[in-house]
Amino acid sequence: MKNPALIFLGAFLINNIVLMRFLGLCPFFGVSTAVETATGMGMAVIFVMTLASWITWIVFNVVLLPLNLVFLRTAVFILTIASLVQLVEMFLKKYYRTLYNAMGIYLPLITTNCAILGITFLNIDNKFNFLNATVFAIGTGIGFMVVMITFAAIRERLDLAPINPSLKGYPISFIAAGLMALAFLGFSGLFGLM
Amino acid sequence: MKRRNLFTRGLVKENAVLVLMIGLCPALAVSGTVRDAFGMGLAATFVLLFSNIIISIMRKKIPNEVRIPVFILIISTFVTIIDYVMQAFQPDLYRALGIFVPLIVVNCMILGRAEAFAYKNSVIDSILDGLGVGLGFTLALTVMGAIREILGNGTFLGMAILGEGFKESPVIFMILPPGAFLVIGVLKALINKYVKKETQ
Amino acid sequence: MTSTKNMVLTLLIVAIVCSVVLSFVYSYTEPRIAETQAQLTLGGLKQVINAQEFVEIIPDTLWNAVDSSGILTGIVFRVFPQGYGGPIPITVGLDLNGKITGVRIASAAEGLKETPGLGVKITEPEFKDQFIDKCAPEAQLKSDGGEIDAITAATISSRAVCNGIKNGIETYLNYLETPIDKRCVFSDAREFVEIIKDTLWYALKDADTIGIVFVGFTQGYLDCIEFMVGVGTDAKISGVEILYSSETEGIGEAIREKEFLDKFKEGSAEAITGATVSSQVLIDAIEEYITRYKEYLK
Repeated sequence: MKNPALIFLGAFLINNIVLMRFLGLCPFFGVSTAVETATGMGMAVIFVMTLASWITWIVFNVVLLPLNLVFLRTAVFILTIASLVQLVEMFLKKYYRTLYNAMGIYLPLITTNCAILGITFLNIDNKFNFLNATVFAIGTGIGFMVVMITFAAIRERLDLAPINPSLKGYPISFIAAGLMALAFLGFSGLFGLM
Repeated sequence: MKRRNLFTRGLVKENAVLVLMIGLCPALAVSGTVRDAFGMGLAATFVLLFSNIIISIMRKKIPNEVRIPVFILIISTFVTIIDYVMQAFQPDLYRALGIFVPLIVVNCMILGRAEAFAYKNSVIDSILDGLGVGLGFTLALTVMGAIREILGNGTFLGMAILGEGFKESPVIFMILPPGAFLVIGVLKALINKYVKKETQ
Repeated sequence: MTSTKNMVLTLLIVAIVCSVVLSFVYSYTEPRIAETQAQLTLGGLKQVINAQEFVEIIPDTLWNAVDSSGILTGIVFRVFPQGYGGPIPITVGLDLNGKITGVRIASAAEGLKETPGLGVKITEPEFKDQFIDKCAPEAQLKSDGGEIDAITAATISSRAVCNGIKNGIETYLNYLETPIDKRCVFSDAREFVEIIKDTLWYALKDADTIGIVFVGFTQGYLDCIEFMVGVGTDAKISGVEILYSSETEGIGEAIREKEFLDKFKEGSAEAITGATVSSQVLIDAIEEYITRYKEYLK
């Protein structure tokens, strides 16, 4: 599975980050109340995920590994991501105001998004080279955004539907997500068939 | 009295997973079996407890501006400790939990308690708070794990309890991702109903 | 408002203390982890073949199984064929005759990604123990010409395992080091140049290629038959040797007799009465292999 195209497909559909790997759930449920906010968050995630993948990959393979400091991986990665997000936010705020207004508010939320940290770990665990790690990150980010937007669209509808008060809000959202996950489960045999 | 409330608050009324809706990722991902769910709960509680203790001890010495990076450093240290200790002494559990062990570092409940409580309170109080929230998390996960393992595999902690016949063809759906979403959705609905009754 | 010095100092001290603590924890647990890992691998190897010791030949992929005196009793290899949900980690033990001694498939807890309740059944003895005592051509699904029963509703996983094992055997078979004297089948040749490792050679005399020698497999009446054949550039067989067979004593085993094998040289080999299956299968297989390697005869 070292083929970039397969990696992309795997990251996007077959092992979808939210519905199959269970990463990125907090923002998934928290920010998907409207399609617009979902799109903004999705774009921010793709951006940060790719950047974070690049930097952590370099740090791991150029610094930690040769110096036998692999055990510092967790600490170094999360600090890198936190700093990266901070820098990106400051940078956007100063130079790209419009972009900042569009997605800047979601950036602090992304630091604790387990999807970002999770992907950086997976890049290492899967022993990806730089290109594959990039493809993996972009594919995952797009998968995240697509699912979030779809889910937001569903939730906008759910808000208007007559639902039992105990089920309103989180419960019905979870059940809806479960149905989406069921649909995505259908993709899991794609590798075997290809 | 007040001390006891500190402990019970995290356990039930402000349960991280089922009331505050944080720490969802591990809750859904590793609650396929009771062993995995309980193991993850204890691991997270370990990190939460000791991070709280250290941060509380050091709270007067940590400058406000750099508190978040310092919290992250301390939390990730304990996460790495539990990571390697589990790898060495419980390799089966470690393999089952996978990347969710190092991902404990971004579990919002840990950073949340550090910021909201341990940084501002005494060590004893922080211990109680950490234990309460951690055990509440463990409780929520274990309940989910029990439901999913019993229905999805016919076993509890690996022992068949619904008879061999059920074990042959259980509700596999429960162990798979969609089942996780369903279980937490239904649990949350039940909690909504129960909590509603209380306020009336 | 804390001074910058204070902020940086605190951060630095905390970072240093954390790193030191972690390096302690690491150095304490690392040997334990490595040992557990080695135990696990050894346990896995012992599950598929009976041997005293294992010598790693290709890291994490191929081991020689040796007995207490260091003599080779077989090999163990790992393959990762693509299954339904992802790669399937399979460990296979092979004895000196190229027959499978055991199969071990990683469980879901160890990373197996097949469908729970269906595909994961490949890890159960009912399925995987079917491979024991089979050779490569037999290690295929019955619907593909072999002897393995697939798991109902999990054909893709079952087939992936079969193909993985068969390909693995064909890849690593030559590590079994069965000595083969090629001059038995090509007496005119003085030198042999390997084209495919332990499978195909050019037969040379005075620096001229006068033919080829190859090793092949086929399924006999009771068991596999391994044979070696020499063929001249005129497409005439120079000799046939049976390297392995285990057909019915007194009947099928007649394929080993000089009388039968010599007929190949005259181009008049025909089935032995009473042992039609064993002999015909051999004749057909040799013909098929000659066609397969025809291009090397030019």
